[in-house]
Amino acid sequence: MKLTALLLIPVAACAAEGDAFFREHVEPLLKQRCYECHSHAGKIKGGLVLDSRSGWQAGGDSGPAMVAGAPEKSRLIEAVRYTNPDMEMPPKAKLPQSEIAVLEEWVKRGAPDPRDTVAEVKAVKKTGVDVEEGRKHWSYQPVRDAAPPAVHDQAWPLNEVDAFILAKQEAVGLQPGPEAGAHAWLRRVTFDLTGLPPTEAEIAGFVADRSPKAHERVVDRLLSSKAYGERWARHWLDLVGYAEQIGTEGKVFAEHAWRYRDYLVESFHHDKPFDRFIREQLAGDLLPAASPQERRENLIATGFIVLGDVDINAIDKLKMEHDFVDSQVSKVGTAFLGMTLGCVRCHDHKFDAIGQQDYYALAGMFRSTQTTFKTRHGIWSNIQRVPLPELEEDREIARLHEQKLAGWRLEKQKLEAESKTLGGKADAAGKKRIDQLKAEITALELRIAHGEYFHPGKPQAIAVQDVAKPADMRLTIRGNPYALGDAMPRGLVRVAMWGPPPKIPAGQSGRLQLADWIADARNPLTARVAVNRIWQKLFGEGLVRSVDYFGTRGDTPSHPELLDHLAHRFMKEGWSQKKLIRTLALSRTYRLASGNGDLPSSMAAGNHRSLEADPENKLLTRMNRQRLDAESIRDAMLVASGRLAAPSGGPGLPLEFPENISGLPLTEKSNHPQFSLKKERESQAVERTLYLPVVRTGTQPGSARLRDVFDFPQPAQLTSKRSETTVPTQSLYLLNADLIRERGEDLAKTLFAIKEDDAARLARLWLRVLSRPVTAAEREDALAFLQASHAAGETQAWAELARALFGTNEFLLRF
Amino acid sequence: MNHSPFTTTRRSWLRQTSAGFGAMALHGLLNAASNPLASRAPMLQSRAKRVIFLFMSGGPSQMDLFDPKPFIQQRHGKSVNAPLPEQHRHESTDGLLALGTEIPVRPRGQSGVTISDLLPHTAAIADELCLLRAVHADNNQHGPAALQFHTGVTAEARPSLGSWVSYGLGTENQNLPAFLTIHPGIDTRNYSASFLPAAHQGTPVTLSAKVSDPAIAFLTDPASDEASQRRRFDFIQRMNRRLLAHNDTDARMEGMIHSLETAFRMQAATPDLVDLSKETEATKKLYGIGEKTTDKNGRACLLARRFSEAGVRFVQVTMDGWDHHGDMRGALPKSCAASDLPCAALIRDLKSRGLLEDTLVVWSGEFGRTPWSQDLSRTAPIEKHGREHQPESFCAWMAGGGVKGGLMHGETDEFGFRPVSGKVHLHDLHATILHLLGLDHERLTWRHLGRDYRLTDVYGEVVKEIIA
Repeated sequence: MKLTALLLIPVAACAAEGDAFFREHVEPLLKQRCYECHSHAGKIKGGLVLDSRSGWQAGGDSGPAMVAGAPEKSRLIEAVRYTNPDMEMPPKAKLPQSEIAVLEEWVKRGAPDPRDTVAEVKAVKKTGVDVEEGRKHWSYQPVRDAAPPAVHDQAWPLNEVDAFILAKQEAVGLQPGPEAGAHAWLRRVTFDLTGLPPTEAEIAGFVADRSPKAHERVVDRLLSSKAYGERWARHWLDLVGYAEQIGTEGKVFAEHAWRYRDYLVESFHHDKPFDRFIREQLAGDLLPAASPQERRENLIATGFIVLGDVDINAIDKLKMEHDFVDSQVSKVGTAFLGMTLGCVRCHDHKFDAIGQQDYYALAGMFRSTQTTFKTRHGIWSNIQRVPLPELEEDREIARLHEQKLAGWRLEKQKLEAESKTLGGKADAAGKKRIDQLKAEITALELRIAHGEYFHPGKPQAIAVQDVAKPADMRLTIRGNPYALGDAMPRGLVRVAMWGPPPKIPAGQSGRLQLADWIADARNPLTARVAVNRIWQKLFGEGLVRSVDYFGTRGDTPSHPELLDHLAHRFMKEGWSQKKLIRTLALSRTYRLASGNGDLPSSMAAGNHRSLEADPENKLLTRMNRQRLDAESIRDAMLVASGRLAAPSGGPGLPLEFPENISGLPLTEKSNHPQFSLKKERESQAVERTLYLPVVRTGTQPGSARLRDVFDFPQPAQLTSKRSETTVPTQSLYLLNADLIRERGEDLAKTLFAIKEDDAARLARLWLRVLSRPVTAAEREDALAFLQASHAAGETQAWAELARALFGTNEFLLRF
Repeated sequence: MNHSPFTTTRRSWLRQTSAGFGAMALHGLLNAASNPLASRAPMLQSRAKRVIFLFMSGGPSQMDLFDPKPFIQQRHGKSVNAPLPEQHRHESTDGLLALGTEIPVRPRGQSGVTISDLLPHTAAIADELCLLRAVHADNNQHGPAALQFHTGVTAEARPSLGSWVSYGLGTENQNLPAFLTIHPGIDTRNYSASFLPAAHQGTPVTLSAKVSDPAIAFLTDPASDEASQRRRFDFIQRMNRRLLAHNDTDARMEGMIHSLETAFRMQAATPDLVDLSKETEATKKLYGIGEKTTDKNGRACLLARRFSEAGVRFVQVTMDGWDHHGDMRGALPKSCAASDLPCAALIRDLKSRGLLEDTLVVWSGEFGRTPWSQDLSRTAPIEKHGREHQPESFCAWMAGGGVKGGLMHGETDEFGFRPVSGKVHLHDLHATILHLLGLDHERLTWRHLGRDYRLTDVYGEVVKEIIA
């Protein structure tokens, strides 16, 4: 007893001394320098509080702040010493050396801290995410098929969709509004399914078709058209970040990107089952293929992973790669799962039960995937490309190209020989000829260099492959690739899992297992997200309005049973998008007028009650109006003026013109060759907007400029619901742009190609631009307009009228 | 998922506010309800009402212009043991030779703010300037660094600073957008509204040598005369009104009609505003208009002053030519000559018109340049070397709008590489700009994909020390 007491005395004295040291030197310093950002009274940055002992013991997001007794192992000391540029504290200025010394001394003494534990510390202590609790959120619950509910008005539903919709309305005493007229429905369904307006002949055909199958015939015709594939390919591209430019520094071309775009058109055109489509996007390179053609498709599909925004001229390659992996993880979350995963790179999700463990489980798969490579040009990288299996036609193309090249080389030799022969004679004519030859040789050299660089015989795709040694990824502290935490086993997002994690075969990235999990009928998110997006494209708003985000801060479904019914049916019917679209487009709900009678010619009785009771139209008593997207506005003008070219495809950037390329021929010190758009391919003026090149920097080229004006998303921004804005720039464009004027002139010319009177011409003009007959009042107005514009000549007056019609709200909206 | 506070339609407003307002007041309310650019009161007490941002694209060399470093100067041409992390080294910088400054940087005015002889006009207004000498950012490549300067992030597409300001405060001139950007670079993300309503995006303005080219895209139609354009406009609006009359209510259609009207007014108002020919000779001379070296930037700065005066909330002027990888000593004086007089003239002009008080002017590049040299040719003598990019520390200045004039804030180490005090990260700079405008950077948010986004993300501290 005595002995114990004796031994205790110095310790206690020591502790008292330590406490005194703390109170006298350390606490005031912490208060003055740190509390503002690291205390309960101030902010709690990085999850770290320094106003209690347990605060620094528990530490912040990056772990305990100090190791008592070991200054060299203490983050706090490292931070105040300013030795790690990514962790310098206080952030604005380094502490005076004397204060740093106090903190060092304190830690060396074992960090004595007499302060009592603050109760709240527990609240901010990291608890990790509660996956079980998170799973209760509706979107992580399994999809359950629901039978269509009974409805009072049994005559109204045309199919199950209508029963779900009507039942909700009846439950609150509402009823559906009137149906849209034939013209409005045809215009709507044609734009929604193909992105184009109906032609005069199609309008006449539908209006005259009295059979009960008239609607079905239209929908089937539209679904089987190539235009359908083109339309829905563009919707998907909005989720990919597709552009034909790589990165934003300089103008580096993605010369093979078009293959991915064309692959999409074909996939949607042929209604590739969506589960198969998912597997191809994420792991096409790992799938077996029955033919070289199929192998090509599989490889091209993985362009999904690489065709995004990446900073390819980064000096810090590790950071570049981590950033690219982040954009890939985010893309997978947004495109397939309706999850926001990007923020989890730095910290556990604040609202959803997604932890860093989940993020790095996915990130490890993409880190194990080759997606960029260092080029021989300075600090530049480029995105991964993969050779495609050659087909017979490639060999033929290669042969012809080689012939052409050989011809140029021969010609160059001839010119060089001539120049050499002339070399001796120096008379004026000879000199002139030599100069001429020199210019021709230079031009040929450029053409040869260009032909060698863009050799079409060795087809490539922007695509991925697994790295040589796939491995798990280590967690990074606050996203800093140089501050590493523990390795996280590759795997899936726990909150949406239903069983144990899959086994990833040795030597593989795990993308195939990821794809299988996403494309599994048990995945609670995939089908719901996909079905909801299709619904949104047809009805203007999703059943879940936050179409890209199904997390806890998103919207809840307005019709959960319908959403699940459709998701279930979608999977049961072989993940067929066309079948789903057909069902939706043939529903009574899809026939409803948008509001109170759509058009002057089809006024209907009022439906004020539903407007007042449900101003946001969540119950769908009427159709939601949509502004045409940029592509449809431009394409519709081409259809109306009879100029739209047949479906094309192929490279969007006109790189075949040597004047559009700088940096060739390559030399030892060459920078990456870059493109400009000095010359447009002639056909591009009349191709569908889908096929025009998409660039990341600068205004969209040529007639694609219209995209910039009408809400075409920045390629770096992934979204399946584009904004529909109304800004004066659009009005200025409609009033003044050459493109609108030219289409008006084209349209006037086609009207004058047929001999008929003004009344017949007006009828035709209205059908072509607004897809409906002209009214008497409009006819009168238009005739007065033509009269007033007469001075410019008759065709010009009509061109002005057509141009004005392209500027009307009715043209720009789909009702 | 975007929650706009402006969803009420004009007609439902009419219904809800059936009586009690005079016609003018009602008009104002209608505007507020349907127009995202309607002028809004700031959250906090504001010191500035508008911003002019002079963006020096390419990265001016802070050491040669504002922050002299004797340590480097004394070792000119000699190898220095630079604290550059391994991953940031590459072949053209591996020599790390100290590159001294040829033209002296001296204390100026009453305050002693240090400015190079290369910027004599800026030096003459030194007492107006708040010089930040320890600004830092996160990326060392132009694209991502410029993007961060404009949007806070180095990748993706987020709303630009000007867009946030427009969103926070609206415009004071309904005939003009709230955010104009003169001579912007090619990355449109730098003035994009991203997920904010598009009305807040920057409208590019280009002053071309040719008078026939409109300063704003599609502002005029050279192929139409006024009468025929008017005819088309009237016809469109008659069609639009007929359509609207058949519909109970449609906020968007009303908005489209409104927007067409605004565009028509913009067509009428803007040409006068961008027509600098009516300015006095003295003003033109002040800005260096008509002089070969300063004409372009001079006209841009004068235009910026006119836009600000007309109530445009955020005006940006981009001046390029600062990316001096080689021949620093030959090239830097030229860039200075092209921008010095116009920038200084802007401050003088704003001041003489009483506008400087509530106009915040910000001058900066996307980063600075290294104190050691770079030689891409690998054969040039030290006198012909340039400098590599440096986001670790650089200089920016602010003037007017509630900042302290004649102040130097922040210091860097002896190399001029890392800040040692008064560190201002871009997020802090953004927070401070918003603060001066009466906007709390932590409360100016927009809900997108389930998250409340801010210009400053989760960062940013207002630099209180520089506020007057």
